[in-house]
Amino acid sequence: MSDNDQPRTATDGGTADAEASAEVTEELPAPGVGETEDHEEHALPSLGSVKRWFVTTNHKDVGILYIVTSLFFLVFGGTLALLMRIQLWQPRAAAGGPLDALAYNQAVSAHGLIMVFWFISPFAFGLANYLVPLQIGAKDLSFPRLNAVSYWLYLFSGLLFGISFFQGGTFAGGWTMYAPLNVPKYMPTAIGSTMAVLALALFVASVTVSSVNFLTTMYRMRAEGLKMRKLPVFSSSILLTVWMMLFAFAALLAALLILTSDHVLGTQYFLSPEGGSLLWTHLFWFFGHPEVYIVFFPALGVMAEVFQTFTGRRLVGRKWFIASMVLVALQSFIVWMHHMFLTAINLEVKTLFMATTIGISLPFDLMVFSLIYTMIKGRIRFTTPFLFSFGALVLFIIGGITGVFLGAVVLDYEMRGTYWVVAHFHYVMVGGATALFGGLYYWYPKMTGKMYDQLLGKVHFVMYFVGFNLLYFPMFVVWETPRRVFNYNPAFTPWHQAATIGGFLLGASFLVMFYNLFVSLRTGEDVGDNPWAYATSAEWAVSSPPPLENFPGIPSYRGGTLSFLDDVVPASEVETDGGQEAIEADGGEVVEPDGVYATHDHGHDSHASIWPFGISLGMFLTFLGIAGLRPPDSTDLVAPGAADPVLVGVGGVGLVVLGVSLFAMAREPFYTSEAPIAERWPYAHVEKVKLGVWMFLGSDVILFGAFIGSYVFMRFNAGWVEGWHVFIENPIPGLMNTYLLLTSSFSVVLAMVAARKRNTPGVIASLLTTFMLGVGFLINKYIEWSHLFHEGHTPSAGIEESTFFLTTGLHALHVISGLVILLYLAWRAWGGAYLGEDEPIEYFGLYWHFVDIVWLFLFPLFYIL
Amino acid sequence: MIGYASLLSVPLQQLVPRGTRVTVFQNIFWVFLVLGTLVGIVVIGYMFWNAYRYRDGNGKDYDDGDLPQLGEIPKDGGKGRKLFLSFGLSAIIVISLIVWTYGTLLFVEGQDTGQPSSDVGVENKDPVVVDTTGYRFNWSFEYENGKETNGRLVVPEGRVVQLRVTSDDVFHNLGIPKYRVKTDAIPGETTRSWFVAEDPGRYRIICYELCGQGHSGMIAYIHVVPQEEYEQFINNESSLSEISASDDESGRLAAAR
Repeated sequence: MSDNDQPRTATDGGTADAEASAEVTEELPAPGVGETEDHEEHALPSLGSVKRWFVTTNHKDVGILYIVTSLFFLVFGGTLALLMRIQLWQPRAAAGGPLDALAYNQAVSAHGLIMVFWFISPFAFGLANYLVPLQIGAKDLSFPRLNAVSYWLYLFSGLLFGISFFQGGTFAGGWTMYAPLNVPKYMPTAIGSTMAVLALALFVASVTVSSVNFLTTMYRMRAEGLKMRKLPVFSSSILLTVWMMLFAFAALLAALLILTSDHVLGTQYFLSPEGGSLLWTHLFWFFGHPEVYIVFFPALGVMAEVFQTFTGRRLVGRKWFIASMVLVALQSFIVWMHHMFLTAINLEVKTLFMATTIGISLPFDLMVFSLIYTMIKGRIRFTTPFLFSFGALVLFIIGGITGVFLGAVVLDYEMRGTYWVVAHFHYVMVGGATALFGGLYYWYPKMTGKMYDQLLGKVHFVMYFVGFNLLYFPMFVVWETPRRVFNYNPAFTPWHQAATIGGFLLGASFLVMFYNLFVSLRTGEDVGDNPWAYATSAEWAVSSPPPLENFPGIPSYRGGTLSFLDDVVPASEVETDGGQEAIEADGGEVVEPDGVYATHDHGHDSHASIWPFGISLGMFLTFLGIAGLRPPDSTDLVAPGAADPVLVGVGGVGLVVLGVSLFAMAREPFYTSEAPIAERWPYAHVEKVKLGVWMFLGSDVILFGAFIGSYVFMRFNAGWVEGWHVFIENPIPGLMNTYLLLTSSFSVVLAMVAARKRNTPGVIASLLTTFMLGVGFLINKYIEWSHLFHEGHTPSAGIEESTFFLTTGLHALHVISGLVILLYLAWRAWGGAYLGEDEPIEYFGLYWHFVDIVWLFLFPLFYIL
Repeated sequence: MIGYASLLSVPLQQLVPRGTRVTVFQNIFWVFLVLGTLVGIVVIGYMFWNAYRYRDGNGKDYDDGDLPQLGEIPKDGGKGRKLFLSFGLSAIIVISLIVWTYGTLLFVEGQDTGQPSSDVGVENKDPVVVDTTGYRFNWSFEYENGKETNGRLVVPEGRVVQLRVTSDDVFHNLGIPKYRVKTDAIPGETTRSWFVAEDPGRYRIICYELCGQGHSGMIAYIHVVPQEEYEQFINNESSLSEISASDDESGRLAAAR
């Protein structure tokens, strides 16, 4: 288990010494090796069987599921866009046109949400799922079952969003969901909009699981010799994307949990006149701006790969290209207020954010030039993937130049809320999607083993490119049209009609793509390992499609080029995967460090489990139930209706399904092995589950940070002392709880010590002590809260109460999750587990200590200050 | 900030656009548009030219020396100097443009309270202050003497109008395209903005932030009238109907500009 057992340690410092027993068995190319990979041995049904797609945990299968699902959402979001374009054919009065006002607002909002969340990122992550392990030389992701969980959560979150349309209508407040329009008081579609918010929260859960998984994989499973800065550009772009996702989506999760609570618990955050409205814009854009790069980076990665292959040149200034991406990823977290230039922020702050905004645009100039210069002295082949990537670069240049207009604050003042913004971000975002379609055409032969019709591919590109520009360029011309409005100036009509025609052309172009790719599955010409000359990355060195475990041996770049070493996995390397990991209903995931540490013959990695589906189904049903809840005591705040008992019942069923599935997945024997030789800098000495726990805790820090920040923001706006009614008069319960938690951290350490000493009663006793202390914490809190409720301090009584109950409530939820895991640990210890294997307890301890530390912040903030 | 503004803009006095918001916007917008178009044509043109010149099969200039090999560790394609030269050029263009507009930003920011600068170009230096409140789905305006109007803003010609904008319910955004003025209307906050009321007539006031079902129709009107008419109006000596007799269509078309 520990890294000490490993035959050797690789670092990124260039000292990757290899074990002598690992021999180079094959030089490239190695056609067809591994094609005979047997499926039955892994209990994975064949590709043709429906069951396979429900149980698979293989990264390539999951990648295909992601891609197919995201294309479905492309059609969904695209249809909504076409409805909007029909409405905009001419200026309409409120009742005119095919959509009424509310329906139009729903279409606008759902189009934005679906395209940003359910189409473009998952589409990129379909490609990433399929290709990143191949490119870095890994058999799969670190936690294959968690990868499947990510996918199913994604699918179910989209379904939940779809169902929200049938709950009286979905969310209608724009994809930016500005407060306080986003609370039920102003939302005529109360349950539907709650459900849409919850769908987003479920999506964030999927993203968080996925981010942790990719980070752990990319830091722990690279082929020997593949240092971090030597990753193929697509993989580099994904690495930076998941880093941004880990933190940015945590901020979004905070915003969504607060919003959900405003919907179903009656808290007062966003309705509060003490800056509730601004709080949302801060939280949303702190997520929202990195999101732009989260969407665009994978597209940059695809462009770089495709440009290199089809020009037959290496990327010019490769290291500066990657350095630019790193710079952008870091800076992306300090530009969010440029979305808020017209709110009441002062000149100093505006100046600062103007500067950071210009700063973040410059690295993109370098990347654009780098791509252009890569073409020089190349041998450019205008294949479908290249056309799409080339087109994407053209569109991105236009999007970038028009973005500089918005960077000039004086112009931004006038362009805010107009079609200039709409046109600009569609050139950037849909420009990015253009590159991703290029990526699909680039890797389709790898995924299917078939080539599509190149002519139809080019027809698609021409229709797409013409349609795109006909759709979005007129929006620059009539940029004075206000966003999300169908009653525009009649003088703009011809331009809007051109845009509508362009929209339909763009939509129709996809019919060509779907036809081409679908038919080619059967009739396409077989391709070999590598249909594209000058492709260099590892996915092209294996068969198309690649075998189940990707490589015919252990990939290594020791000699400077890719070779495959003899498979020499010592049995001690065998580990379990997701048995240690559990997903939880609080929207984030909690790593449950337990599992089946059986010794197992290597080479029989598991690839099938139904429980990721079960867990996600359970969460889906649970979230359906939460959407049906309404605050008990604040009917005046909630426009229509009371709780929906049917939905709530469904939620109850969901909790049961979730619990059973979590337990079953934890108990399920599931084996994954880690390659004995891999680049693991800088985490060579951090075991993968531990690394995963740390990554997750990193995002949890942002989640709590956002909650605490929200409290501080609201209190500061109200007036820290004079404007804020501190209703907690007795800090003693809080103080008692501080000591209870601190003591419980200590008893977790005792459990580890006992495990090391192979003392089963000691382990059980220490774990149960921890459990009892945690229960004591909750009982104490229960008494405190009921006392407060009796005094009229309910969550809906005011912003003071809202912040207190929600922030400490989120913490209590973390405690409860910890207790569930503790029970499981104790039960396993009863069966004799963990003796000499204290890692699961250690990883639980990390989580538990973190929960303690959070309380050490919450206690003074809410009880003393 | 004003002191800082004048300090910065002394050498730029002639360069930095000043005047009404319309003047300022038009000047900067056109410079950006012309430069942006130029840069776009050069860069995209260069792309196409290279794509054409180095197309496969034209047999020239191809560097066969060091072709990318399958399975190689990713390597750098060189040409770092050229890259940095172009990057430097683009950075200079972008940064100088933004710094240039920053001077104007300081100027614009200085006018929303107190006496306007002489650069604004109005004779009557007294600003007209109007408290504006957005509500679903209209705007209400409160004048300095306490008079209130709904859906109609009446201002005197040739004066600086300073707006104090807030909202009664949700997040709105008030914009008068004719005068290039726009500011958020946020519940619990007050934002400030200003414009010069030129050209008597009737123009649209539009909401630029999605605020619910009536958002598309949340249009109010601004009536720019001569000073005497304005005074009569706010002193209740004339009614809205007398003022709103001004030409509807000219206002609508003007909003299109």
